[in-house]
Amino acid sequence: MDDIDAMFSDLLGEMDLLTQSLGQETVPPAPLPSTKEEANFSIGFTDLNASLHELEDNDLDALMADLVADLNATEEKLAAEIEGLKVPTPPPSELPLPPPPNDLITPPASSLISPTSPASTSSNVSTPSPSTTSPLPPPQSKKPTKEEIEAQMKADKIKLALEKLKEAKVKKLVVKVLMNDGSSKTLMVDERQNVREVLDNMFEKTHCDCNVDWSLCETNPELQLERTFEDHENLVEPLLAWTRDSENKILFQERGEKHEVFKNPQNFYLWKKDKKTLKDIKDKDKELLIQENFCGTSIIVPDLEGVLYLKEDGKKSWKQRLFQLRASGIYYVPKGKTKSSRDLVCFIQFDNVNVYYGKDFKSKYKAPTDFCFVLKHPQIQKESQYIKYLCCDDAWSMNLWVTGIRIAKYGVSLYENFKTAEKKAAVSAVWTNRSTPSSSNPSTPSPTIKAKSPSQANGHAPKPQPGPVPQDFPPPPPPPPLGEILPPPPPDPILPPPMPPLAAKSALKPAGPQKHLPTNFPPPPLAMDNLPPPPPPPPIDDASEAPPDFLPPPPPAAGFGSLPPPPPSMVNSLPPSPASFGGMGLPPPPPDPVSLPPPPPSQPVFTGAGAPPPPPPPPPPPAAPAAVPRVAVRPAGSLKKVPPAPPKRTTPPLHGGGGGGGGGDFMSELMLAMKKKSSDH
Amino acid sequence: MAAWDLSVTVEDLGSDAPPVAISVASDLHVGGVILKLVEKTQIKRDWSDHALWWDQKQQWLLRTAWTLEKYGIHADARLVFMPQHKPLKLGLPNGITLRLRASFSCPVFQTVMGICRMLNIRHPEELSLLRPVEEKKKKKDKDLAEEIYDLTEVPLSSVSRPCLYNGMPAHFVDSPQMEAIYKMLSVTQPPPAPEVIAKQYRPASVVDKAHINGRWLDSSRCLMQQGIQENDRLWLRFKYSAFYDIEPKYDVVRLTQLYEQARWAILLEDIDCTEEEMMLFGALQYHISKVAQSEPQMLSTNAAMDDLESALMSLEVKMEGENSSASELLETMTAPELCDYLKIFRPKRLTLKGYKQYWFKFQDTSISYFKSKEESIGEPIQQINLRGCEVAPDVNVASQKFLIRLLIPAPEGMNEVYLRCENEQQYAQWMAACRLASKGKSLADSSFQSEIQSIRSFLAMQKSNSHGNATAGDESINTHSLVSPRYHKKYKPKQLTPRILDAYQNVAQLSLTDAVMRFLQIWQALPDFGLSYVVVRFKGSRKDEVLGIAPNRLIRIDLGVGDVVKTWRYNTMKQWNVNWDIRQMAIEFDGNVNIAFSCVTADCKIVHEFIGGYIFMSTRSREKSDTLNEELFHKLTGGHEAL
Repeated sequence: MDDIDAMFSDLLGEMDLLTQSLGQETVPPAPLPSTKEEANFSIGFTDLNASLHELEDNDLDALMADLVADLNATEEKLAAEIEGLKVPTPPPSELPLPPPPNDLITPPASSLISPTSPASTSSNVSTPSPSTTSPLPPPQSKKPTKEEIEAQMKADKIKLALEKLKEAKVKKLVVKVLMNDGSSKTLMVDERQNVREVLDNMFEKTHCDCNVDWSLCETNPELQLERTFEDHENLVEPLLAWTRDSENKILFQERGEKHEVFKNPQNFYLWKKDKKTLKDIKDKDKELLIQENFCGTSIIVPDLEGVLYLKEDGKKSWKQRLFQLRASGIYYVPKGKTKSSRDLVCFIQFDNVNVYYGKDFKSKYKAPTDFCFVLKHPQIQKESQYIKYLCCDDAWSMNLWVTGIRIAKYGVSLYENFKTAEKKAAVSAVWTNRSTPSSSNPSTPSPTIKAKSPSQANGHAPKPQPGPVPQDFPPPPPPPPLGEILPPPPPDPILPPPMPPLAAKSALKPAGPQKHLPTNFPPPPLAMDNLPPPPPPPPIDDASEAPPDFLPPPPPAAGFGSLPPPPPSMVNSLPPSPASFGGMGLPPPPPDPVSLPPPPPSQPVFTGAGAPPPPPPPPPPPAAPAAVPRVAVRPAGSLKKVPPAPPKRTTPPLHGGGGGGGGGDFMSELMLAMKKKSSDH
Repeated sequence: MAAWDLSVTVEDLGSDAPPVAISVASDLHVGGVILKLVEKTQIKRDWSDHALWWDQKQQWLLRTAWTLEKYGIHADARLVFMPQHKPLKLGLPNGITLRLRASFSCPVFQTVMGICRMLNIRHPEELSLLRPVEEKKKKKDKDLAEEIYDLTEVPLSSVSRPCLYNGMPAHFVDSPQMEAIYKMLSVTQPPPAPEVIAKQYRPASVVDKAHINGRWLDSSRCLMQQGIQENDRLWLRFKYSAFYDIEPKYDVVRLTQLYEQARWAILLEDIDCTEEEMMLFGALQYHISKVAQSEPQMLSTNAAMDDLESALMSLEVKMEGENSSASELLETMTAPELCDYLKIFRPKRLTLKGYKQYWFKFQDTSISYFKSKEESIGEPIQQINLRGCEVAPDVNVASQKFLIRLLIPAPEGMNEVYLRCENEQQYAQWMAACRLASKGKSLADSSFQSEIQSIRSFLAMQKSNSHGNATAGDESINTHSLVSPRYHKKYKPKQLTPRILDAYQNVAQLSLTDAVMRFLQIWQALPDFGLSYVVVRFKGSRKDEVLGIAPNRLIRIDLGVGDVVKTWRYNTMKQWNVNWDIRQMAIEFDGNVNIAFSCVTADCKIVHEFIGGYIFMSTRSREKSDTLNEELFHKLTGGHEAL
C-alpha cells in the first residue's frame, strides 16, 4: 500500500510538472459534469443574458463547441490518467499514460461541431451532452485487485480535488474580436491563455495565412489609444481592466511593427546610419545583430536618444526635452546638464506601464505631430495626470521609441514570441499547402505558467536563466563567422579557421517533429496509419531541448542568412524562397509541390486525430514541414477553404459589460439560450 | 670540439653564491648543460621545473635538444638556472591577494590558463594580467595587516587530478586552509566599508579610464620577458567583456569574481550609471551579501520546485485522512488573512482630517476596511484591490513613523492612499502583504514570510544607521557601502535606505545565483558596458581623441564634447595592419573606409591585442569543447613578435 501511495505522489508530481512545462499540450480542467453547479464562472459581463441573446447563431454554436470540447477533453484526459495510474511504475522520463484504446476510436465530440463548420446545426450541438460522456471507466481486461480499486479511487479523489482547486479560480471571458472586414468572431478566453494561444484559435476560425504579423490589438476610443498585445501576455488580465461602459475593442489585424525588429534589426540598432546603408544590409549582418542583442547574457536595448515633445502634466502645451532610452527606463537631460549618465533624470520606468500608440493627437491634444505614443498603467482607462504623452517628429522615430520601450520592458520574451510565431506560420504554410485547413481542436486553453515573467527589477529586461533556456528553433546559429569576413591581422596571413560550416549544422535540422514530448493524447490517428510516420527526432543537441510543443521547426526563414536552404530533396519541387523578410505572406503561393500527395481526403481524418492542441506535423511527405519555405504561407488558391461568410449582424461588441463581476452560472445560462434558440426555430 | 667554460647562476644556491662553472662544448645540447649543472651542484631535488634563462637576450632556453651553438650561446652569456614556476602575488577582482606559483616561462596567455585552472575559472581567454595601480598611500601598516592567501604549496601536477563535485578542484579539499581559500574565491565578499571605497583610486574622466588599459601585459610574451620578478604583484582581471557560456553550476568562482569586478566597477564609477540604476545595484549587493552569508555554499535551489513538492506532499497527507473530501480540502486551504486597526489617509481628497482609524482586513490581494472590528462581518466601507499598485515605504524608525504609501491604479488614474502602522511588527506584515498583492500574489504565497523578514532586516539597518556608526555586523550594512562615493555626499545613509529598499522589493526573492546573474545582466545592459578606452591620435588629426574598444565595435569619442562621433563594427572590417616601426594601426572597413591612428596611452600591441582578442572571442563556437584554440588566439593577437 505504501508503494502505491508513493507511486501516486510520484505520478501526481509528474503530472503537475508536465502541466506546467507543457502548457500548450495539456487540456485544462473544465468543470466536471458533477460539479458544474459549483464551478465558478467569472464572466466579465454583468448582463450575461443580454449578451448571450445577442449572439448570432453560429457564434453560439461555436461557443458551445468550445465549451463542450473543453469538457470532453477533460474527461478524456481524466479517463486516460486514471487508466495510466494502473500502469506499473513508469519510467520517470516520460508520462506513462497510454490513452485507453477507446479514445483512439471515438473522435472527440468536438469534431462534430468544430468551429470551422459554423453551419452545423444545433442538433449537432446537443448530441454530445456532457452527461453522456462522463468519464468512462477504463476498459479492464482482468479483474482489478482490491488494492488497485482503492488506488484508483484515491487517484480519482486527488485528481478531482486538484481539478476543482484549479477550476475554482479560473476566470473565463467571452470575447468578441473584430476582423478587418468589419465582421467579428466570438470566442471564450480562459485567464490562463496567452495571446499566442488565442491567436492560434483565431487562425483556426479565420483560415488566414497565419503569418507572423497577425496580432490582437486593444483600442481605447476614449483616449484614442491602441496597443498590440504581446504574444506571451495573458489576454484576460488586461480585459478585466476595462470599465463597464468601455468602448474598447479587440482587433485581429496584421501588424508589421510587432516583429519588425527581428526582420530588420538594423533599423533599430543601427538607426544612426544612413538609410541606404540600412537598406543594403546583408542578411548575415542582420542575424549578427539579433545574435548580439537578443542572444547574449543580457538583452541590449537600442541606444536611443533624441528630442521628443512631452505633454506637460495637466497642461495643454507640449515641451521639448532630450530623452534617452536605457534598459532601466526613459530618462531626460535636465536643463544645463550634460548627457552623462549620472546627471540623467528618470522620467519613467517600465514595471507598471504599457506603451500605446496615440491616434490623431494633433486634433485631440494639439500635439505637434500625429506621431505620438503614451505610457500608462494598463488599468487607467480615462484621462488622467498619470498618463504620459510623448510626441515624435515622424513615424520612424515613433516606431523606434515604441519598439525600444517594448524591448526594455519585455526583453527576451519578444524574441521568443517571434520564434514561436515563425514556427506557427511555417506549420500552417505546410498545412494550408497540403489540405484544407482543418480544425484540430477548437478550444485548448491551457495553463500558461510560463507566460508570467518573473518580476523585474526596475524594468530591466528579463533574461532567461542560462540553464533552462529553451533552445528553440531556429537554433541559435553559431557565432558570427567573423573569421570569414575579417582579415587576418598582420603580419600572419593565415585566416582563422572558418566557422563550422553553417550548412553542416543546418543539414542536421531535418523536417519533422521534434522529440515527441510525453503526452497523454492519442498518437496519430489510426486513419493515418498507412502514412509514413514522421521522421525520428534528429540526433542533434537541439533534440534534447525540444520546444515545448509539437510544431516542427520553421522552414528556412528567408531573412536569416544562416539558415539552411531547403533540403536537396525538396529543392526541385519548390520555388526558391525570396531572401527578404518583408516579402512574407505577400508572394504568390508557390505551386503545390508535385511530390506531395493530394490533400488529405476528409476532415474527419484530422479531427479524429484527437485533441492535441497544435496539429501534429503532417506525416507525408517526411521532409515537407521544414522544407517548404515560409513564403508558402498562403495556400494554393484551389485548396484554400473559403472562409465563412462574415456575419451580417452589427451589434455592438460583446464586451460592453463591466469587468470582474461574477455572472452567475454561465453554463446553465448558455444552455438556456441554446434551448430557447432551438425552440424558436 | 673545443671545450670552454660556461658559468651559470643557480638560483637555488642563493643569491650570494657564485655562478657554477661547467665545461661545455658548442655542440652540447641544453639538456646536457642542465644535467652537468645538476651533477655539479650535488643537490638532490626535483629539477623538472627548472630551465635556463638567458639574461642578455631575455629568453628562456626551453628547447633542450638545441645545442648551445644553435642558440648562439658563448662563454660571455649570463645564464640563470631557475624554476619556471615562481610565486606571484595575485590581486583578484574581489580585492583579495593570493600567492600562487605561476609560469614565468610560457606566454602570459598560457600563464593565465594555468592560474585559472588552479583557481577553477573556466574560459581563461577572457582574463588577463595587468600591472596594478601603485598605491601612493602610506602602506607600512597596511601591508602588515593584509591577509595573503597562499596557494604556492599546491603541487603543479594537481591540475590533472580529478575534480570533485561542482567542478571544484581536488586540491581545495586537502586542508581546512585550502577550503578557506576556495570559500574566499567562490563566495562574494561582504560590502566594503565606505572609507575603503572612498580611498580607492577612481577614474575621473574617460582619459583616466584609458590609462588603466596601458597596464595590460602582453599575452604573447612570458612574465620574465616583461620584467616581472618573483613575488611581484599583478592583478588578474576579466579583460574581454564577452562572457561566454556562463553556467552557474560550473562557474562558481568565475561568476563570483566577475560579480566582484562588476561591483567594483560600479562602486568606483568605472562605468557610469544613473541614480536609479545605482540604487538597484545597491539593492542587489545588499541582497547578495545577505544571502551569501546565510547560505555559504552557492546552492541554486529552485524554490518553485520545492513549493510544488511540499504542496503535493501536504495534499497527499491530507488525502490520507479518513474522511477527507474535496470540499473539506478546499476549506482548509482558504487563504490566510491579516486583520488589525490601522490608520488611513487619502492625500488627494481635499480634506484636512488627517489619519483616521479603521478596522482593516487583508484578504487575497485586497484591503477592506470597516468602522470597527465588531462591524467587520458586514459590508466594508471600502474595498481596495492592490493588484498592480505601486507600494512605497515611508519609514523613520527613530520617530516611529511606519507609513505605507500606496498608489492604486483605477480607470480614472492613480489613487493615493497612505496606511499608517503602529509599530515595526505590524508594518512588516502589512508592507509584505501589500508588496505581494501588488504583484498579484496573496498572503498564502510562500514568499510572504521571507518578505516580512527582509523588511525587518531593512528596518534594522536603518536603526543601526541612526545610531551613528554602523557596525559591520550580520544584519546591519551601512548603505554607503553599496553605492559610489558620489552618493555618500549626496545622501545620508538614512536617506539612502528607503531608496535602496524601494529597489530591493523587486529583487528580494531572488536566489543567490539569480541575484548575481541579475547584477551582471544590468551591468551588461548599461550603455557604456564593455568599452575599453585608449587615447589615440588619428592620422591627419592634431588632437588626442579616445578610441573605445567594445566586443562588437570600435567607437571614436571626441574628447572636447565627450560624444561618440563614429562607430565602426567589426563585421564590416576588411583588414587591419600594424606598422610596428611607427607604431601605427591602420584599419580598413567595407565601403573604402580607412582609418589609421597611433596610440598614446597604451602600446599599440595592447590595442592590436584587444581587437584581435574580440575577434577571437566571437569565433568561439557554440559546440561545447573544452579545448581552447590557443594558436588562433596568438595568430589574431600576436603581431610580429609572435611565434
